[in-house]
Amino acid sequence: METVTGKGKVSVSFLEEVMRKSGENLNLCYQCLKCTVGCPTAPYMDIRPNNIIRMIQMGMKKEVLGSSAIWFCVYCQTCGTRCPNEIHIGVLMDALREMAIEEGVPAKEKNIHLFHEAFIQSVRRGGRAHEVTMLMEYMLRSKDMMKGSLIPGMKLFLKGKFPLLPSFIKERGEIKRIFEKCQTKIKE
Amino acid sequence: MDYLYFPGCTLYTKAKNFDQTARNCSRLLGFELKEMKNWTCCGAAFPLATDNLMALLPPSRILATAREEGTVLTTLCAVCFNVIKRTNRLIQEDGEKRDKINNFIEKNYQGDLQVLHYLEILKKEIGFYQLKEKVRKPLEGLKAAAYYGCMLLRPFEEMRFDDKENPKLFEEFLEALGTQAVEFPYKIECCGSFQSVGSPDVATECAYKILGSAIKNGAEAMVSTCPMCTFNIDHKQADIKQKYLDFKPIPVFYFTQLLGMAMGLDPQALGFDQNAVDPMPLLKEKGFL
Repeated sequence: METVTGKGKVSVSFLEEVMRKSGENLNLCYQCLKCTVGCPTAPYMDIRPNNIIRMIQMGMKKEVLGSSAIWFCVYCQTCGTRCPNEIHIGVLMDALREMAIEEGVPAKEKNIHLFHEAFIQSVRRGGRAHEVTMLMEYMLRSKDMMKGSLIPGMKLFLKGKFPLLPSFIKERGEIKRIFEKCQTKIKE
Repeated sequence: MDYLYFPGCTLYTKAKNFDQTARNCSRLLGFELKEMKNWTCCGAAFPLATDNLMALLPPSRILATAREEGTVLTTLCAVCFNVIKRTNRLIQEDGEKRDKINNFIEKNYQGDLQVLHYLEILKKEIGFYQLKEKVRKPLEGLKAAAYYGCMLLRPFEEMRFDDKENPKLFEEFLEALGTQAVEFPYKIECCGSFQSVGSPDVATECAYKILGSAIKNGAEAMVSTCPMCTFNIDHKQADIKQKYLDFKPIPVFYFTQLLGMAMGLDPQALGFDQNAVDPMPLLKEKGFL
């Protein structure tokens, strides 16, 4: 288990900011490690979930927002279910992802972020997610043609699982309006 | 009684067999799944950070549209179920968010819809005991592992589906069909979810642990309620086999496929050709075909 040592610049208000944004009381954490032990993606993270909390307490904003950990979390909620202090780390990770995007910190796992974007684009187009166009967009953006996505995709296609054309809903104008409203709100 | 039904995007594409078998089974059980009008994507993730309103809008719009047609909404996909049920609860409990959402989606929805998973309908509205009596071809001798995944169960306070660490509902269902439900410790573990796109190796590892645990405990087949999990534990088996040479693939069913078979539906209509690991040899060996 790695130890956390504070070096470099720390942000005094980081803990408060994260607690406000996520709604989770991170002061309650006593490092029992139940979250990290149960986490399915912790072995692949650069910083383990329990250490993420400790580093937030220490104000290590740059390190936390720039970590791969926040992008590896798939929000399975095992951590939150088992935390004796009822800290929902999945919620926390989502808040950290949003903060990273807002602050313009490049995602350490850039492909995961690109996949989220391709998904939203797909819904924006027709109201429903459509795997073929979504994965095509993802592959073009990530330039990740050969690493895994293409081959299983082709297999599914050959099994007749993917219709070539997306199924659009009738009220696409309504979807467009909702998206536009949201964007004006974000800009405000 | 008929139930208003939200299929979700995947059930129109990758999980067509899940959708079809559920509809056919309903008819045999005496109810109809009435597809709601103009549904959109549910957003696929419940927004977690406190001020994220945008991701609440798709499920809210679905709920508001469904309320115009009925009072109970049912889903099959565990992810959609999670997102829609939690959004409904939020709308019921948080007046401020409710007003904001209604303003955005141009509707007036008060949260007075009941959201049920298909398995809950089978348990609460039909009853597993009655279901057992309706089974025409019990799947005797099949050792099946009920794989819950995350979305049906967590977060426990909001989903209230079953026990958070050791749920039993899915096993009870499988036993009503005549199978021998296999207990295994990874039944509520995460499948790796969407990491199968960005970091395929992570998802392969997660799937391997789950499948390995089930096989070790004697499972001959896995049963799932979620198209996302099914992609990871069924379609990823080819990758697992490449990495772990002694791994023996086992078929993964949607629970409605087994239900359909036990109810005596024509095996041709159960969409087994769309399963990644071919279940035919196992079904023949057990004498179900």
